Amino acid sequence: MGRGAQEGIYTAAFRRWLDSAVMELSDANLQTLTEYLKKTLDPDPSIRRPAEKFLESVEGNQNYPLLLLTLLEKSQDNVIKVCASVTFKNYIKRNWRIIEDEPNKICETDRIAIKGNIVHLMLSSPEQIQKQLSDAISIIGREDFPQKWPDLLTEMVNRFQSGDFHVINGVLRTAHSLFKRYRHEFKSNELWTEIKLVLDAFAQPLTNLFKATIELCSTHANDASALKVLFSSLIQIAKLFYSLNFQDLPEFFEDHMETWMTNFHSLLTLDNKLLQTDDEEEAGLLELLKSQICDNAALYAQKYDEEFQPYLPRFVTAIWNLLVTTGQEVKYDLLVSNAIQFLASVCERPHYKHLFEDQNTLTSICEKVIVPNMEFRAADEEAFEDNSEEYIRRDLEGSDIDTRRRAACDLVRGLCKFFEGPVTGIFSGYVNSMLQEYAKNPSVNWKHKDAAIYLVTSLASKAQTQKHGITQANELVNLTEFFVNHIQPDLKSANVNEFPVLKADGIKYIMIFRNQVPKEQLLVSIPLLINHLQAESIVVHTYAAHALERLFTMRGTNNATLITAAEMVPFVEVLLTNLFKALTFPGSSENEYIMKAIMRSFSLLQEAIIPYIPSLIAQLTQKLLAVSKNPSKPHFNHYMFESICLSIRITCKANPAAVGSFEEALFMVFTEILQNDVQEFIPYVFQVMSLLLEMHKNDIPSSYMALFPHLLQPVLWERTGNIPPLVRLLQAYLEKGANTIASAAADKIPGLLGVFQKLIASKANDHQGFYLLNSIIEHMPPESVDQYRKQIFILLFQRLQNSKTTKFIKSFLVFINLYCVKYGALALQEIFDSIQPKMFGMVLEKIIIPEIQKVSGQVEKKICAVGITKILTECPPMMDTEYTKLWIPLLQALIGLFELPEDDTIPDEEHFIDIEDTPGYQTAFSQLAFAGKKEHDPVGQMVNNPKIHLAQSLHKLSTACPGRVPSMLSTSLNAEALQYLQGYLQAASVTLL
Amino acid sequence: MPTTNEQDERMKKFKNKGKDTAAMRRQRMEVNVELRKAKKDEQILKRRNISFSSMGESLSPEQEKKNATAQLSLEEIVQAVNGNNPELHLKATQTARRMLSRQRNPPLNQIIEAGIIPKLVEFLSRNDNVTLQFEAAWALTNIASGTSDQTRAVVEAGAVPAFVALLSSPHMHISEQSVWALGNIAGDGPMYRDSLIHNNVIPPLLALVSPSTPVGFLRNITWTLSNLCRNKNPYPPLEAVRQILPVLIRLLKHEDKDILSDTCWAVSYLTDGSNDRIHVVVETGILPRLVELMGSPELSVVTPALRAIGNVVTGTDEQTQMVIDAGVLAVLPQLLQHPKPTIQKEAAWTLSNIAAGPCHQIQQLITCGLLPPLVELLDKGEFKAQKEAVWAVANFTTGGTVQQVVDLVQYGVLKPLLNLLSARDGKTILVILDTISNLFLAAEKLEETEKLCFLVEELGGLEKIEALQTHDNTMVYRAALGLIEKYFASEENPNLQPESDQERPTFNFSAEKPDFYTF
Repeated sequence: MGRGAQEGIYTAAFRRWLDSAVMELSDANLQTLTEYLKKTLDPDPSIRRPAEKFLESVEGNQNYPLLLLTLLEKSQDNVIKVCASVTFKNYIKRNWRIIEDEPNKICETDRIAIKGNIVHLMLSSPEQIQKQLSDAISIIGREDFPQKWPDLLTEMVNRFQSGDFHVINGVLRTAHSLFKRYRHEFKSNELWTEIKLVLDAFAQPLTNLFKATIELCSTHANDASALKVLFSSLIQIAKLFYSLNFQDLPEFFEDHMETWMTNFHSLLTLDNKLLQTDDEEEAGLLELLKSQICDNAALYAQKYDEEFQPYLPRFVTAIWNLLVTTGQEVKYDLLVSNAIQFLASVCERPHYKHLFEDQNTLTSICEKVIVPNMEFRAADEEAFEDNSEEYIRRDLEGSDIDTRRRAACDLVRGLCKFFEGPVTGIFSGYVNSMLQEYAKNPSVNWKHKDAAIYLVTSLASKAQTQKHGITQANELVNLTEFFVNHIQPDLKSANVNEFPVLKADGIKYIMIFRNQVPKEQLLVSIPLLINHLQAESIVVHTYAAHALERLFTMRGTNNATLITAAEMVPFVEVLLTNLFKALTFPGSSENEYIMKAIMRSFSLLQEAIIPYIPSLIAQLTQKLLAVSKNPSKPHFNHYMFESICLSIRITCKANPAAVGSFEEALFMVFTEILQNDVQEFIPYVFQVMSLLLEMHKNDIPSSYMALFPHLLQPVLWERTGNIPPLVRLLQAYLEKGANTIASAAADKIPGLLGVFQKLIASKANDHQGFYLLNSIIEHMPPESVDQYRKQIFILLFQRLQNSKTTKFIKSFLVFINLYCVKYGALALQEIFDSIQPKMFGMVLEKIIIPEIQKVSGQVEKKICAVGITKILTECPPMMDTEYTKLWIPLLQALIGLFELPEDDTIPDEEHFIDIEDTPGYQTAFSQLAFAGKKEHDPVGQMVNNPKIHLAQSLHKLSTACPGRVPSMLSTSLNAEALQYLQGYLQAASVTLL
Repeated sequence: MPTTNEQDERMKKFKNKGKDTAAMRRQRMEVNVELRKAKKDEQILKRRNISFSSMGESLSPEQEKKNATAQLSLEEIVQAVNGNNPELHLKATQTARRMLSRQRNPPLNQIIEAGIIPKLVEFLSRNDNVTLQFEAAWALTNIASGTSDQTRAVVEAGAVPAFVALLSSPHMHISEQSVWALGNIAGDGPMYRDSLIHNNVIPPLLALVSPSTPVGFLRNITWTLSNLCRNKNPYPPLEAVRQILPVLIRLLKHEDKDILSDTCWAVSYLTDGSNDRIHVVVETGILPRLVELMGSPELSVVTPALRAIGNVVTGTDEQTQMVIDAGVLAVLPQLLQHPKPTIQKEAAWTLSNIAAGPCHQIQQLITCGLLPPLVELLDKGEFKAQKEAVWAVANFTTGGTVQQVVDLVQYGVLKPLLNLLSARDGKTILVILDTISNLFLAAEKLEETEKLCFLVEELGGLEKIEALQTHDNTMVYRAALGLIEKYFASEENPNLQPESDQERPTFNFSAEKPDFYTF
């Protein structure tokens, strides 16, 4: 198709439509709109996009939404109807809200017309369209309801009487989407006024509808299709009940609690063959309804206990019976877990203890509710084999909140609060019998053992963390005995691939009870775990890697690792071999657990890995090369770079010269990564390079200098994730190669300062700009930057003038004081005053004195203290010009910096910046722990104790001009500050003359 | 350099992270909208004098018997009161009074519509016919006990000056009935309350209080006084409050529980306001007795006494200190464990406002053993009490010193606090998340962040905070996310964003000087 022709049509249509801002509701316009809607469905973007663009360009015209509504009602083409309804909803979403100071995007007559028609239209449309319009109503409702749409409620309530459940369900759905926000919004007069209005108009009709619907359910008990519609209504009604009762217990519902709760209760016990579904996965209407009723009961039990108390025991019994009679299918999962959670929350409350304490009740709950829901089901088995990632996530990382097993575990814990002894006793019997079943015929009955292990685990674990495993255990369970008798034998069996689920259970047992099992048993387990790294099952070798990683992070006495490098000596080689081999299993080539175990092993073994480094680094670089083609597993990648950093650190600590061989091994891959612009890896590469460069004892190698110009390329600095590691790398360049840069790359200095200028312009990155600037001032030979100094200050003053923030001021204060330390106080004063007369005084008075208290960080405060001391004592204009009047205030500010708590208040208007842009909040930056930079103190050698330094400097000043300092102090320094100062003078053993 | 005073100011800000104590103290909520049923434990606004109730009966037994059989229709009543026959006046008034005193469905509106109120008011001035006076007063009392419109009908007929005059009647049953009627009018709202005060109701009313006043009468007076203290927007005039207060203090010494209850209600109304209103009350030295009454065995006394004290601690640090000095901290523990959830709730609210004070007051909470019952309440209390307990903990962690926060954690606050993260109430969750954040700030100062992370995770808190990252309320999920990112983010989550492909060799470095800097 010729493009020219297409464009011609658009232009003509465009002109016709745009001629007036009002579109007629004519057949011709409906036809044109139909054409464009059709085109928006075209798979070819060159047809679809212009049509979408066109529609957006005309949507500001009056009548446009009404044309859409007409189409979705009257079009003969069902596709166009649906398309018009979706377009309409999106139009409402984009345009309905009136934003202050922005033009109203929908004209008032259209708004009125839409509100007048939409409910009727929604209710008379087929379901697909009804859903879109219902969404649109709730968007409009969010803005206009109730004040600007007063008829909506009455209109909806009137429909309840229609008797047409298609219509009623439409109303209920819309009401739900309007009211569900009551579940999460904070109490406010506005919100509660709205709720009250809704209750006044809606609660009684809803209650009537509820009763009527239930009656209809029994008259239509044999009519499957009628029942479906009626139950859909009941579900919506139950949801509405939850929303309307969420904020507080409304008077109406308190008065009608009997009606609601009695009916809810009987619905919980109701069953009807016609409502049962064949589908094993998808929850049916009956399940959804009962599940919502459990939620409603739980809401009342939690929030309105006083009023709900009379009903609660009945619900406990009903829900418990429900659990006993509900099957194992996946479709019941949500219902079962909701129901169990209800029991779990009630049984912990002291005044309901009596509902559970009977031995028969307890036994029955354990036997019929808990045990069946702990069984390993076919669906679990499937996930274990085919979807191991999901299985691991659920089983290991606790994303199992909604599962039956998890709910059953929570119920065990709840019951143990009051009945630990009896519950443990009941379960011990079960565990034994299940283990006996297993022993009779392991290959058939292995699931019994799985359940036994799970039961022991849930019974024994009272508290748990990822880092430590179980931290508090049930003392009635002998964990070590169970470990020795039932866990170890499985792991010792020669075949690592037999009964993989039980192996995984066993490994998990070690992992979570690692703090309860004695160390000698853990040491026995280590070779077993290393062995299971070879298991074919992804879950098993992943668990083995994870268990090792967790064991290696355990702490013993003196905060050292519990497992020592010495104890690992016999296993080093096989451990490293098996770990890397595990990465070759299909499905595990980027397994983050294994990579993390590699990192942790390096960190534990330290110099024991040095003999293997050539092979290890070769395998790591190979892996790096492979994954850099398509980085997809962020955690894996992260641990891989951490492992590389560890290799470098460990090796170079023993032999600094080895840094060269790492550079040789890595630079080729790094170059490729930089050339191919693998964005995910570039920040890591810069960090590893910084680490390597900082390892060099002598001057900067030429290989680095060759790269230097490339680092200043603007494109690299456009990505926020690059900024922190690049700044750090440039700092390393400056530290190691300032002289080389000054002599061999002086033409790059403007580019380097350009980076500073770019960073300083941004509120988010200005602190990074200061890091760079501080390194330049500290390391570059002064003459190499002389010509730029004034411009640097001008840039800073511009930011200070136009858009200062607390963060900027803090960094600025550190910088000028560092400058003062480096170049002298007089130089600081001179450069300030050369930019503008009296500038120095203004900065002292308006910035330094009032803001110095905000500086944070030990080193930063020290730099400021030394800088200010210099201004006070080594800057003649402070003594003999008009600046003299600032001398005492400056001294007082300095003493404040020493003695007062840090001022961490932030002006209100900066709170947003504070959250988004403070250092350390940048998620885009992936900081490597093992590439860490040591803290650098530029005044470290010069000044040890800044208070003593102040005393000594004052002493020196006073000998130069005897009498003046004490007289200034005694006339103007406040008493408290003076007292502190005398303390410093005493500590320094000096007196002022 | 700041002066010492300014420094103190800033130190204060530092301690409370910029929130001043006034902002932390939470006044009794200005509830304009209420979804709940009206509270059953509130004091009654208006009361009807129901027939055959022992009091009404005992006041005029002989008339009662004499006319027990007389029955007139409404029309006959209208005719009779408008006629000239004094006997029929009495008979009609008495019949009307009886109708109005029926237990069920008294015909208030019919009587109003019949237009006999002006006549009844007129009868109030018939000093020559004490029985008629009494019957008219009783009938009007019951009409005034109705809705605002019904009360208005009585007031607009000019009943107020007549009733005020009758306070000084030589006949006790008449002055008592007038006290009652005036109580109903005062209970209608601030407007009629103030119009009574302007009609000079207070001096004769107070004059009725004497050692010889019978208890039943005294109860009525107390109740009417409490209605004169009641309602805000506007408050009763300060001058009136100053007149009433000494009598309230005398009444507080009484033994009768109804008198004590209504007196405490009066005090609770007077303290439900700004700090200068509170000041007028506390300067009378009333606090020790109020605190004593918080320990009363009578729920009807405890409830208003606790309210009054709860109101006072919304005031200044000094006012709160007076409450502490009056011994409130010895009574609060038992109230935090009271069997009635509403008492627990009010006690926790009171505690939360004390915890909003300076750290020396917080220290007194610790020293006086308030933390164990607070933690217990947080763990096992009814939800509305738990919510207040959460506020108490939040304020405590905002204003407390690091050591005080450590004490709180050592009393086991974490577990129940974290459990409440699954509460179905967004605001409570947000307050808990803020509190956790406060705990972390303290932990950072002690360099024990890791230990706190451990505890939070061990107690199941981390899992709950993680789940809150998907909460529908933006503020809740932001707070949850903030905590996770700040304290629980694992090593790091690489997430890079690409942008821009401009090819420039390097940045330019240049600066132009603007005209003039001022900072």
